[in-house]
Amino acid sequence: MAFAAGIMSLLLWFVELPVVYLLDDPELAAKVKWIPFVHGYVYAFYVLAAIHFTAKARFTINRMILFILAGTLPVASFVAERKVMREFPIK
Amino acid sequence: MMNQSNSNWFKKSGFIALVVVFALIFVRLGFWQLDRASELKELQKPYIEKPIVALSKVAAPSQNLKDSAINRIVEFSGQYVAQFDAPGQIDNQEKIGTWLVGLLEVNGGGAILVVRGTETDELPKGEVFVKGRLMLRQFENRAAKSEDRLSRLDPSLLVANYNLPVYDGYVVADSEMLNGKPLELKRAQVDPIKPKVPGYYWQHISYVIIWWLMALVVVFLPFYSRQRENKEKGMVH
Repeated sequence: MAFAAGIMSLLLWFVELPVVYLLDDPELAAKVKWIPFVHGYVYAFYVLAAIHFTAKARFTINRMILFILAGTLPVASFVAERKVMREFPIK
Repeated sequence: MMNQSNSNWFKKSGFIALVVVFALIFVRLGFWQLDRASELKELQKPYIEKPIVALSKVAAPSQNLKDSAINRIVEFSGQYVAQFDAPGQIDNQEKIGTWLVGLLEVNGGGAILVVRGTETDELPKGEVFVKGRLMLRQFENRAAKSEDRLSRLDPSLLVANYNLPVYDGYVVADSEMLNGKPLELKRAQVDPIKPKVPGYYWQHISYVIIWWLMALVVVFLPFYSRQRENKEKGMVH
């Protein structure tokens, strides 16, 4: 989920936003219009998954909040995922 | 002992207040996105003209124009006190031109900018009855301002020069009657303004879900914290 949220954040920040706000190309804007709402739903699922995981792993509240917020920044969710994978490796 | 329980009580109350404030903020943000989604849905519908109304019923001098007043066809009467050119104006056919704009002192108080037409005309002397569409003021300059030229259609540009409380916005006249006789002028053709709401309907709905989810998270966190503490205590004992 962190991986999906990270990819959607990257697409939102570096593809959709520049196309809509920097380029004056309605055709191109129409082609990327799926990005923001897919990002919205993916992030909602990311939040649920983050809560589920951090509660199970008995993270502190601060870590839980940071984990949830990591989904809003393009690279942060990848970093968070990597850290967690090191801490809780899949057996 | 008393002091410690007091300080605990304050800490707890402060914490609860903080949780409630954050939860309310997130709920409000959710409603804000919900409003934007419904605005977008409204914009897809064709514009329905509302009945003609007296200017004084929907607007007042020195007050911001309400959303519900924008685009309404209004009627009012009064006397013109000044006239200007407004270059760089665009009509509904995307034609750029200079519009003739009058400042009319409305009977009953206040003054309002009236786009009289697209050709030059003398300033009418006497009682003028105007019917036209009320529009939101312009924010971007289209020309340099001078004594007889407006850089944009914005009544705030005239506040310093005229000792009159002005109505927000401006009216694009559809007809004018001078002492009961119609004034024949080539009128500016404009369409009702459509507010620009960025984004897409389902995008805003997804943000509604996220904000309300955040509100739930904020409410859930104290319980989680308590449960976690209890479990840790249980493990120690």
